[in-house]
Amino acid sequence: MPDLSHLVLAVCQALLLLAAAPLVSGFSRVIRAKMHTRHGPGPLQDYRDLLKLMNRQDVQPPSAGLVFRIMPVILMATLLVIAMGTPILTRFCPISASGDLITTIYLFALARFFFALSGIDSGSSFAGIGASRELTMGVLVEPVMLLALVIAALLAGSTDLGTIGTAIATGHVHSMTATILAAVAFAFAVYIELGKLPYDMAEAEQELQEGPLTEYSGPSLAIIKWSLALKQVLVVGWFTGVFLPFGSSPDLSLVGVLFGLLVFVAKVVVIFFVVGIIENSVSRARFRFTPQHSWLGVGMASLAFVFYLVGL
Amino acid sequence: MTMTSLVFLHDPIDLLLLSLLISVVGGFASLLLRTCDAAAIRVAGLAGTVAAAVGLCASLSSLSGSPQVLDVAGPYPFAHFILRLDPLAALMVAVISLLSLVASIYSLSYVREYAGRGVGAMGFFMNLFVASMILVVVADNAFWFLIFFEMMSLASYFLVIFDQDEEAVSAGFLYFFVAHAGSVLIMAAFFIMANYAGSFDFAAFRTAPVPAPLNSLVFLLGFLGFGAKAGMIPLHIWLPRAHPAAPSHASALMSGVMIKIGIFGIIKVGIDLLGGSGGVVWWGLLVLAFGAVSSVLGVVYALVEHDIKKLLAYHSVENIGIILLGVGVGMIGIASGNPTLAVLGLMAGLYHLVNHAVFKGLLFLGAGSVIYRMHTKDMEKMGGLARTMPWTALSFLIGALAISAIPPLNGFVSEWYTYQSLFAAAFDGTPLVKFAAPIGAMLLALTGALAVMCFVKAYGVIFSGPSRHHHADEVREVPAPMLVGMGLLAVACVILGLAAPVVAPVIGGIAAATIGTQAVAMADGALLLPGNAQQAVLSPPLIAVLLVALAALPVILKSVLSGGQRLQQRRGAAPWAAGYLPDEHMSATAASFAQPIRMFFGPLYDVRKTIAGGWGKVAIAFERLVTVARRTEPCWDRNIIDPVTEGVGAMGRRLQTIQGGDFRVYCLYIVAALVVLLALTVR
Repeated sequence: MPDLSHLVLAVCQALLLLAAAPLVSGFSRVIRAKMHTRHGPGPLQDYRDLLKLMNRQDVQPPSAGLVFRIMPVILMATLLVIAMGTPILTRFCPISASGDLITTIYLFALARFFFALSGIDSGSSFAGIGASRELTMGVLVEPVMLLALVIAALLAGSTDLGTIGTAIATGHVHSMTATILAAVAFAFAVYIELGKLPYDMAEAEQELQEGPLTEYSGPSLAIIKWSLALKQVLVVGWFTGVFLPFGSSPDLSLVGVLFGLLVFVAKVVVIFFVVGIIENSVSRARFRFTPQHSWLGVGMASLAFVFYLVGL
Repeated sequence: MTMTSLVFLHDPIDLLLLSLLISVVGGFASLLLRTCDAAAIRVAGLAGTVAAAVGLCASLSSLSGSPQVLDVAGPYPFAHFILRLDPLAALMVAVISLLSLVASIYSLSYVREYAGRGVGAMGFFMNLFVASMILVVVADNAFWFLIFFEMMSLASYFLVIFDQDEEAVSAGFLYFFVAHAGSVLIMAAFFIMANYAGSFDFAAFRTAPVPAPLNSLVFLLGFLGFGAKAGMIPLHIWLPRAHPAAPSHASALMSGVMIKIGIFGIIKVGIDLLGGSGGVVWWGLLVLAFGAVSSVLGVVYALVEHDIKKLLAYHSVENIGIILLGVGVGMIGIASGNPTLAVLGLMAGLYHLVNHAVFKGLLFLGAGSVIYRMHTKDMEKMGGLARTMPWTALSFLIGALAISAIPPLNGFVSEWYTYQSLFAAAFDGTPLVKFAAPIGAMLLALTGALAVMCFVKAYGVIFSGPSRHHHADEVREVPAPMLVGMGLLAVACVILGLAAPVVAPVIGGIAAATIGTQAVAMADGALLLPGNAQQAVLSPPLIAVLLVALAALPVILKSVLSGGQRLQQRRGAAPWAAGYLPDEHMSATAASFAQPIRMFFGPLYDVRKTIAGGWGKVAIAFERLVTVARRTEPCWDRNIIDPVTEGVGAMGRRLQTIQGGDFRVYCLYIVAALVVLLALTVR
C-alpha cells in the first residue's frame, strides 16, 4: 500500500494535470491559429469556455437515463485515478497498485465504456455512430498498445510502468532496437488515442457533431471537455513516463520532483507542438480505411517483438 | 435432530450427500406434482435452493486441506463407488451450488412463464442436472464419472428441447450428437489409462503413469472430448444454438457451470490424472493456442448477434478461451518444471472460471428477465428498458462491466492474473513459449477491447436510448425472486473483485494443491501480486476507493464553478437530428453499432462459414449414414432372413411330395432303406 508521501505526490500530480489540462488544449488552439495565420484566442481561452459552460443550463434528451447523467463524473474520476498511478513527475509510480500497464489500459477502457454508452443512451443518431467509432478505435489501438508495452515490460522484467521507465532511463534493457521500435509503435497508438486529426473519428466535429458529446450541455459538457483535455495530457504523460523518462525524479525529494515537473512541461510543449503541426497539416482519414493505418502500428509492434526475440 | 446426527452432518462429504438427496427427492416430487404447476414450481425451486445452500456449506469448508474420500463398494469390481472431495472438486461444487442457488430462487417466478407446458418435468430435469454435475466433479472412478457425465448431458438435453419447437429440437439433436462424440473420446482416454492402471479408480490412474507416446494420445483424446463439452472453437458449434434454446435459468447453469465441467475435465486429465507421467510442453501450447483462437473468434461472432442469448452464448466461447489461456500456461509451467508459473497460470484459469460462472449467470438471468417481459430475444425490438426495469438494468450493467474486465470488478482481476501468467511465461520460457505467450497477451487485449464494444452494444441497445417496442405499458420490473437471484450474483461480482486479496490466495492454494506443489504468494495485505511483487502489484479495493473518492471532485467543481446562479436541469429536449423530427429508428441499433467490426474483421466471419461448413459436412455425412442404415435394414431382411424362411418353406413343400399317402410307395421306402443299410453293414 502507498505511504503518505506517495499519496500526497499522487494527489498533487493528478490535481496539477487537471488544472493544467485546459492550458494545454488552449496551447493547441494557439498553434492552430498560428498555422492558419489567424490571430486566434489566447492560451487561456479554454478556461473561459469552461467557466461559461458551467453557468449554462444542463439540458438532457428525453430518453437519457442514469448512464447519461453519471458519465461525466465517471470519466473524470477514472482519468484522475490513472493520473495518480502513472509515473509522470517521478520515475516510479506514485501509486504502484494502479500503475501496472494492464491496469492502466483497462482503466482507460472503463472511461471508454461509459463514454460510448452515454452516446447510445442519449438516443441521438450522431452520438450512436460516435460511440461505435470510439469503441472500434479502441479495438484497433489497444492490442498495439499492449504488445508495445509488454515488449518493454519483458525487457525490464516487470509490468509496472515505473519500473519499465527506470530500466529504459538507466539503459538496463538488452535490446535497444526493440525498445525504440516499441516506443514508435506506442507513440503511434497514443497519437490515435489523442483523438486528433487525421484520427479524430469518434468526436469528429464537422462530421458527427462531436459524437457522444452531441447531446451534452452546460456543466456536464464542461466536465467532459475538461476530462478530454486531461486525457490528452495524460496519454502523453503515459508515453513520456515509459519511453522518455529522462529528467524525471528518481526519488521523492522536493527539488527532484520540481525539476521533473519542469522537464515534463518542456516535453509536453515539444510534443504538443509537433502534434499541432501534424494535426493541422492533414485531413481526416476515412474511417473505413483506419484498419490499414492501425496495421502500421501492429507491424511496428511485431517488428519490435521480433527484435526482442532475437535479442538485438 | 439428535446430537449424533448433527455431528454426523459436520462432515462435508455427508453434507454433500444430503444436498444430493434433497435435489433428487425434490426433482422426483416435482415430477409427481406435474399436474399442479404452482406446487411443482415451488417444490422444485425450494428443493433446489435448500440443496444448493447445503452444497455450498459442504464445499466452502473443503476448499483447503486434505481431500475427503467416501468409498462404497460398487456392484462390480470395476465400479467402485468412490467420491472424493478435494480442493478442486470443492471449488467446482461451490460454483455449481452458487449458480444453482441463484437459479432456483430465480425459477420460483420465472418458470411461471412456462406454466401448462410441463413445468414439473422441467423442475425434475433441473434438479437432476445439478445433482449429476456435482456427482461428476466428485466422482473418483472412471465408470461412475462417465455415468454421471452422461446423466448430465441427458438432463441438459431435455432442458434444451423443452420448447419443442423446430429450432430447439434441431439444436438439441446437434448438442446430443456433439456431447456423445465427446464422451466417446473421453471413454477412450479412460480405457487406455485403465489398461495401465489395472483399475477404473482415479486413484490408480494417478499412480500408474502412461508411457511416453501414448500419454499424449490420452491427453489429446481427453482434451478434445472435454473441449467439445467446454465449447472451444472449432468444437463450439452446438453451444450458440443449444444455450439460447433452453429456459434462461437453465442457460445460466449450462453456460455458467456445465461448460466449466469441460475445463474441469481438461485439468483433471492433463494435470491431475496424467500428472504422474509428467507433462509435455506442447500440451500447454496446444491449450494456449485453442484458448487464444476461441477467445478472439468467440467475441467477434458475439458482436454481430441480434439475439441476446446467442450473443451471451458466444461470449461463453470467448471466456472458455480466456480460461484455457490460464490453464495452458499452468500446463507449460508443470512441463517445464516451474511450479510458480504452473500455480500462477492454473490459478488465473480457475479464478476466471469462478468469475465467468458468476457474471455469465447474472447476464443470462438478466436476459431471462428481459425476455420474461418482452417475449422476444431480438435486441432490435427492445430499447430504453432501464426506465421501466431499473433494477434489472443495474444488475445487467454490473454483469456487463464485469465480463468486459473493467476494473475493479471480478472479471478484471482474473484477466489481470491471466496477463501476468502469460508475462511470466514469456519472461522465462523456452523460445517457443517466449514467442507464443506475448501473442496470447495481445490477442487477449484484442478480446478485451471487443468485449467492451459488445457489451456497450448489448446494454445500450436493450436498456438505453429510445424504446423500439410498442408494449411499453406491459413492461415493468420483474418479480422479487428474480431480482433477488440477479442481485445475489451482482453482489458476488463486486465481492470477487474487491475482496480479491482474500479470494486469490484461496484459489492459489487450490491450484497448488491440484498440481501438488507449494503455494505461491498471491496477495500481501490489500495488494495482489503474481508470485513476486517485482513483477507487478494491483489493489482492486484501493482503485475502488480512489474512484469513489475522486468522483466527488467533478461534482464539487460543478457546484463551485457554476456560482450561485445555477439553473435547474431540463429534460425533454429531443436529440438533434439535423433538423428532422427524431424517431426511434434513428438511434443506434445492434446491427449499425457492430457494422464497423463486421467490415474490418470480415475474413474472420468467413472462417465461421468454413467451420460451419465443415460441421455441415459432418451433419450431412451423418444424415447419409442414417439413410444408408434405413436402406440397409430392409436389405438384411431381403437378402438373409427372407431367403432362409423362403428356403425352409420351399424345402417343406418339396418334402411333402414324398409323403404322398400311397402305402405301396411307403413299402418301397422301407425296402429301399433295408437295402441301403444292408449294403452299408455287409461291406
